[in-house]
Amino acid sequence: MAALVLPAGLLVVMLLVAPMLLLARISLNRFSPTELMVEATTAENYWRAVQDPYYQQVLGTTLGVALGCTVLALALGFPAAYWLARMESRWKSLATILVLFPLLVGNVVRSAGWMALLGNEGAINAALMGMGITSRPLPLLYNTGSVVVGIVAVVLPYMILTLAAVIEGIPRQAEEAAANLGGRPMTVFRRVVLPLALPGVVAGSVLVFILCMNAYATPVLLGGPQFKMMAPAVYDQFVRGNNWPFGAALAFILLAVTLVLTVVGSTLLGRRYRAA
Amino acid sequence: MGSLVLEALSKRYGSSTAVERVDLEVAQGEMVALLGPSGCGKTTTLRMVAGFIPPSGGRVLIGGQDVTRAPPYARDTGMVFQSYALFPHMSVAQNVAFGLEMRKVGRAERDERVMEALRLVRLDHLADRLPRQLSGGQQQRVALARALVVNPAVFLLDEPLSNLDAKLRGEVRMEIRALQQRLGLTTLIVTHDQEEALTMADRLVVMERGRVRQVGTAEELYEHPADPFVAGFVGRCNLVSGRLEGGGFRAESGALLRCDSTGAPADAALLALRPERIRLDPDPAGEARITAVTYLGAQTEYHVEQRGTTLLVTRPTPPLGDPMRRLAVGDAVVLSWDAAAVRLLPAA
Repeated sequence: MAALVLPAGLLVVMLLVAPMLLLARISLNRFSPTELMVEATTAENYWRAVQDPYYQQVLGTTLGVALGCTVLALALGFPAAYWLARMESRWKSLATILVLFPLLVGNVVRSAGWMALLGNEGAINAALMGMGITSRPLPLLYNTGSVVVGIVAVVLPYMILTLAAVIEGIPRQAEEAAANLGGRPMTVFRRVVLPLALPGVVAGSVLVFILCMNAYATPVLLGGPQFKMMAPAVYDQFVRGNNWPFGAALAFILLAVTLVLTVVGSTLLGRRYRAA
Repeated sequence: MGSLVLEALSKRYGSSTAVERVDLEVAQGEMVALLGPSGCGKTTTLRMVAGFIPPSGGRVLIGGQDVTRAPPYARDTGMVFQSYALFPHMSVAQNVAFGLEMRKVGRAERDERVMEALRLVRLDHLADRLPRQLSGGQQQRVALARALVVNPAVFLLDEPLSNLDAKLRGEVRMEIRALQQRLGLTTLIVTHDQEEALTMADRLVVMERGRVRQVGTAEELYEHPADPFVAGFVGRCNLVSGRLEGGGFRAESGALLRCDSTGAPADAALLALRPERIRLDPDPAGEARITAVTYLGAQTEYHVEQRGTTLLVTRPTPPLGDPMRRLAVGDAVVLSWDAAAVRLLPAA
């Protein structure tokens, strides 16, 4: 058995651990506008990232958007996941494919679609103006709202499928027993379905939160030039600024914040589950 | 007026009928079993009483009140599920307390009633365990306590013993029956196991393909089955097709079988005879031949062929040394029975 795990293990080391170690080393180097990267061992990149109000704001925006999108995806995904999990007919596999379908379209293509829908000359504004409801286009694109909508649309399938897998394992008869004992639908949901679905809520939220924290194409395309999240900021440093050490430091800050929040969040939720 | 009344209760799915106009009255404190093979509609009927399935027609009355359209949580029923359906994330005590919480029973009274219910099923010492830490039999008793603690007007049991092993099944059967009688619970139990139904219920409802075939006590069903299905389903029965001829019954194979035809339906086409009502005596001159012998411990089964008709005969296993003990395949025997033991039934 151990031998069978070896190829995957090697792959992880080569494709994940090695680049990360390299990146960690780069983040400790010094940047010079003339020589670009200078070999050093310094924490100044981290200091700069933490103290600069601009990057504080970028991190704040990223956290806000990621948390908001996770909560929204959970709220929108749970009913859909429940419906999918409790489906009995032959349509179930079709419904599952429909949930998966958006994943077939790349993030860039999908964002382009949102732009065509939300832009000043987009479908919605064209319709509103055509009907004479507004005289000038509504600012639907290039704001937090459009980014959140775009990201939620990307992550929703992950949330739904993760939740549905867990909800399917909740015996329907447990719900019936609760109803039989006098539980109204909301009570049955709160006291039986939700506590039993909590492992799925944790798994789905962690997965979606990580995806949101690292969103790149959607914030760039739907947020416009003024809207900044961490992943695009890292890209800017590497490609536009040629400042690899600072970009690497930003990347590790993003990684650390994501990791800490994921562990803290899932531990808190997990504790509630055991207490229930 | 019964405590639970079903009036022409029906359930159709598209063009197929799961339950067809079931009428039933269960009196206060009575235990009635819905008995039938799988797919006969007994579980659908029970689930319509609990409110999980909306009926296509007819009415359900609990305590004289029409609850046909009421949601499950508004019906005063306590159900024990086949899978027990305990809440896996709640302790035994929390499981039992759930129904009382829903009824807004105060904390002190709730704790008291939970312990009382757990004592009733002898599980008070396991109140803080989680369901997965209990054996199947213990889980079953938690499910009983959880349904009983709310004093439901109607107690519903859906194949409550099917997940227990044979030895435990016998014990739990007695236990449920004793509880039901002690607490005077109006009870509807669904089972496919005729022994379970015969030993537990005051009355049985035999169902087949969505219809009620016969309602009666165990003895009525066994001694006076209304039709071939009931005769074959409740206990074992020899069913021989043929017609009345003179004072006897002429089997299709030609054999003339002894029967009492007084009061028999004119269109009698089947002779029903319980295997234990047939006597069997070794007789070298007899025209019947043993074709199979099955030793079952207390009983021995014989398949006996007589002029093209094979009858099943069960006899108490004779003691060692008895000449009957040596009966083997091919031996000639004589069969006899009281004419009154025979039931004559219309064609299936």
